[in-house]
Amino acid sequence: MQTLLKILLRYSNFLVFIALEVAAFLLLSWNNVYPRSSMLSTANEVVAWQYAQVNEIRSYFHLRQINEQLANENAALHNQLATLDSMQTGESFHYLPAKAVQMTTNRLHNYLTINRGSKDGIQRGQGVRNEDGVVGIVRTVGTHYSVVLPIINTHTNLSCRFAKNDYIGTLQWNGKDSRFAQLADVAAHMVVNEGDTIVTSGLSPVFPEGIPVGIVESSTLKEGDSYYTIRVRLNTNFKRLKYVEIVQNAALNELEELQNGLD
Amino acid sequence: MDWTKQLIRYIVVMLLQVLLFNQLQLWGACHPYIYVLCLLMMPITLSHSASMLIGAIVGLIMDVFCNSLGVHMAACILLMFIRPYLIGLIVNDKDRLNEQISLRAIGMEALIKYVVILVLIHHLAVFMLAAWSWQHFGFVLLETVVSSMITISIIIGYNALKYK
Repeated sequence: MQTLLKILLRYSNFLVFIALEVAAFLLLSWNNVYPRSSMLSTANEVVAWQYAQVNEIRSYFHLRQINEQLANENAALHNQLATLDSMQTGESFHYLPAKAVQMTTNRLHNYLTINRGSKDGIQRGQGVRNEDGVVGIVRTVGTHYSVVLPIINTHTNLSCRFAKNDYIGTLQWNGKDSRFAQLADVAAHMVVNEGDTIVTSGLSPVFPEGIPVGIVESSTLKEGDSYYTIRVRLNTNFKRLKYVEIVQNAALNELEELQNGLD
Repeated sequence: MDWTKQLIRYIVVMLLQVLLFNQLQLWGACHPYIYVLCLLMMPITLSHSASMLIGAIVGLIMDVFCNSLGVHMAACILLMFIRPYLIGLIVNDKDRLNEQISLRAIGMEALIKYVVILVLIHHLAVFMLAAWSWQHFGFVLLETVVSSMITISIIIGYNALKYK
């Protein structure tokens, strides 16, 4: 017993080191698998408030661009309203405007923080778009702020289809350039042209069908490959992202319950 | 060493880190983490375990600002674990080393060695843990070298100005 105690004391620093590192790696893996702690992310009130203040100051330098963006957005919304009025499709999607508080574009795992949280009815898994196209999916929800996983994060997978023939593919990002993403799972028998429009597939309840994602920049089919390598120019300019809209599907909970019931 | 001074320095450095250096958009590979300055310049009279614990807290706070839970924490603990051994290796004249690790106490050559080695280890750990795969290893190395150069210059510059 005494020898054991002596050994423990002798290596106490190393044991503390191991214990602390184990704690850090537990947090790390927990965050990768189960990212729901809003306290320990930029959805944290203090941290997000600080970023919001910085953004407030910075936004004065971008007023002209913001005005232009707002005008464009207004026009786009009016168009949408007009189409919706004429169609009366009975779809249950609502759009909630939000402001981007913080965004990184130059990392492998980029995140976007927005100034809406659970008090505005934001839920994990809701889609986020702006007037140009898809932005990402809500990942962590705080009371007043949320963190969004944008499509330019190597963790993101988004089901998309070709506007011309409804062929489905998966949009991923390789971590290199925030203007381009990659479309996977498009089989070799498809004809892919430059300039083909990619839109959301509507297969998941996150986004309605047909929100623009990007256009095909280039496609290559190597000898013997059964799938294309497709480079998609994204519609959304993540470096200039200021205002976004959260896509709220009134049927999201119901659909999830139904799908869980199937398992 | 006065702990209020340490705390004030930490707050100033963290403000610079979060408001300025985290916003840098240079070449996509430049993410200097200058907050390690506070850890590197911490008094050496502190016990080994206590300094690792401080490293863990400082890293965790940084993680909250970066959405990278655990990454900075792990790297900072590693840095604080290695620190005393490294000081033992590179500082020959230990009599002059009382309480503080400073330019005056250990000289320019030893200080540069100390800062370069620890910053490289810390930055490499951060970028590798953040990437969490070997797929981007080339980019991680580039990121480490570019960012470390900036962090190292700032920490050496800080010391040179302080002990001119």
